[in-house]
This record gives sequence, structure tokens and C-alpha cells, in this order.
Amino acid sequence: MKKLSLLAILLLSLSALQHLNSQTPVPDQTWKLDQSTLTYHMSHPMHEVDGTSRAALGKGVCHAGQCDFLVAAAVKSFDSGDSNRDLHMIQTTRGAQFPIVSVRFRLAQAALNSPTLDCELEVQFAGNTAHYTHVIFQQSINGTAHHITGVVPSTVSDFKIDPPSFLTIPIKNAIPVRVDMVWHAQP
Amino acid sequence: MKNPGRLWAGWARVLICGVCLAVLCGANGRIAAQTSGQQAIVQQASGQQGIELAAKEDALALPDAPLPAESVLDRSEALSSSSSFQASALNQPPSSGPSLGDLGLTPAETEGSAARQALMDRRTHMLKIHQRLGLITVIPVAAACISSVGAPPEKGNYSDTTSRDLHIALGATAVAMYAATASYAIRAPRVSHEPARGGVKWHKYLIYIHAPGMVLTPILGAMAYNQIASGQKVHGIASAHGAVAAATAASYGAAIIAVSWPIHLKF
Repeated sequence: MKKLSLLAILLLSLSALQHLNSQTPVPDQTWKLDQSTLTYHMSHPMHEVDGTSRAALGKGVCHAGQCDFLVAAAVKSFDSGDSNRDLHMIQTTRGAQFPIVSVRFRLAQAALNSPTLDCELEVQFAGNTAHYTHVIFQQSINGTAHHITGVVPSTVSDFKIDPPSFLTIPIKNAIPVRVDMVWHAQP
Repeated sequence: MKNPGRLWAGWARVLICGVCLAVLCGANGRIAAQTSGQQAIVQQASGQQGIELAAKEDALALPDAPLPAESVLDRSEALSSSSSFQASALNQPPSSGPSLGDLGLTPAETEGSAARQALMDRRTHMLKIHQRLGLITVIPVAAACISSVGAPPEKGNYSDTTSRDLHIALGATAVAMYAATASYAIRAPRVSHEPARGGVKWHKYLIYIHAPGMVLTPILGAMAYNQIASGQKVHGIASAHGAVAAATAASYGAAIIAVSWPIHLKF
């Protein structure tokens, strides 16, 4: 009789554990950003400026056919070739208060190998969040490396940034960000 | 022969154990859901600033009567919808997907500093005044250079002339404006100890020419003025007044151009 009771308890425990396990999300696949070049372009009648960051970090987690990606870079990691301008950029974009620019997007796992990726981006920058729909990225796959390029059509007003001016002329509203990234899938 | 009473008692024990386990498992799930809900609320609230939010955190941290998971989720949603801008304003990760911590970023790297931002705002404000005054100073510097044509004595006339006085006045104004301009750059708070790169590097190098020049030029000018006033021809080191002034004005102009030149001609 005792054996029967123990067996019943064991079976119930096993089923309970199995139930708990099924609730724990297990990522099917993870992605890591290995190399990246993010370049913003700023236009002014007297100046054309490109600021580049190669210090972005990124991770993607796939589960149940959906992949969530996050790419983040420190605002101060963007280098325009002029330290004074970079400091002014950090000040203007409130980079001391909001030091990270982050981009989130979700893709269907089945679409990860297609030559073009249609993304909806959520960009957090300068203390504000902007959403960009149907941003197209080109993808070339070389072995395990997924090379992705594209442009995020961001603007100064998207993030409520006061456009800096020189000789009373403000910069143009558009600050497109060129993206060049290499991702690798991790087991 | 087994006793039927004992058999029933055994089965009852098994059933009780099973029910207990099922209840425990269900409660675990419920507690987990509730805890995660509360964490979400605390996470969102912790991102907000001010005493009001600290109070919210405190209130949320207090042990509360067990709530149904739905109620907690409702509260979480209500809070997130009412403060979605603030939550997003503070780089709060959304509920799904990797977080900044997953990227290896530490809180020290992701959390901003309002004090540092204020320092940078102050620096920018002072440098803007520096820039504006610097551009305005070009006017008296240029005027002093132009008026220098009438400053030297003509054909042995060593008496005071209006044109010389005008040159002195413009020179003095230029020096005073220059000092005011420089004071804003000197007093602007330093926010980075990295070496200067780009145009600002040349802007700073040129200080070594125009700053001593702005000190020497009026001294040499005063010496020259005294020599002329005493009926002497300008001689000695005073005769370098014009050359020093020209070098000073040229380096000053170059310093402005260094930080204004179109960037596609990178230095």
C-alpha cells in the first residue's frame, strides 16, 4: 500500500515538474552581434558631418518562431573626428542623462535568412522613443555570418532634440543612421 | 485478506497528497506570476524620478494581500500606460526580448547622470557665449588693424592725432573683448580629459600665438606711443608692435576658421 502511495506521489510530482518546465521559456536560438558600424549623418549648409560608432552591442533571442533583437551603443561612442563637436552632440542629445541609444526589433525566425529584412524598429534615444516601420535592411549570408546593411531614417525631431545651430542656421532635421552589422547565430 | 478500511485510508492519503501537490504547483505558478507582475511594476516605477515615484515604490514594496494575477496585470498595464513616456524615457527594457543587462552593460553604464548633463549644458552655454563674443571681437580687431594706417607719425609730426587715438581706442576695445571671450572658454567646465581632436585641436594650438600676442601688442603699442609722444622715432622692441599685431590678428582669424571650416575638409 505504501509503495502504491509513493508511486502515486512520484507520478504526480513528475507531472507537476513537467508542467512547470513547460512554463519556463527556453530560447530556441540566440544571436550575437559581432561587428557593427553605426554612422549618423548630420547636414548643415557649412558642414557635412559623419559620426561613427563601432562599439554597439547586440543580442537576439528566438523563441516560438519569433526573434527579439536588441542593439545598443553608448552615445559617447560616436566619433565625428572632432572632440568638441562630439561633446556638443552628447550635450544636445542629453547623452549624459540618457547615455545609451538602443534599438529593438522583432522578426519572424523563418525570415532570418531572407535577403531583405523588413523591420519595425523601436529606437530609444535622448530620453525618447521613436518607432520606424518598414525599415528595409539588406542581408548577405556568408557561412554563419549574417551581414546586414541599411539606413534608419531618423530625424532630430523624432527625439525632441533642439537642433544645434551654427551662425544661427540650424542643422537639417534628417539624421539618417547607416547600419552595417555582422551577426552570428549561437547554439 | 486486506482490510477495506485501511485500503480506503491509503487511497485517501494518496488523493490528499496529490491534491496538495496540485495546489502547491498551482500556487507556485500563481505566486510566480504575481511576483513577476510586481517586479514589472517596481521596474517601471523605479525608472521614474521624484519623491512621488519613490513613494510608489515603497507602496509597491509593502506586503500586500494576495491579489489575483489578473488584477496585478491590470495594475501593471494601467501604470505602464499612464507613464509609458517616462518609462521609455529612462531606457526601460520592454517586457520581452533581451535587456541591456543581457548585452553585458552594467547599471553604471546605462544609468545617466542629471548632474553631469547639467554640467554639459553649462559648458555648452559658456562656449556658445565664447563663440558669439569671439565673432563680435573680429570687428574691433579688424578695425584696429585698418586704423593702424593712420597711427604712425607723418613727416615728423609727433603730436597727438585723432587717427592714432582712434587706433588706440579700437585696440583697447579689441583686447578687452578678447579677454572677455577668453574668460568664457577658460571658465567653461571641463567634462572630458581626452586629448582634443579635429579642428578644435588647431583652435587650441593657435592660442599659443594669439594669447601672448594680445598681451604683447598693447604693451608694444604703449611703448611706441610713448616714444612718439616724446618726439622720438619708434625704435627698439616697440618697432615690432605692427608685426606682433598682424601675427596676432592672423592667428586669431585662423583660430576661428579652424572651428568653422567645412568638415568635409577634415583636419
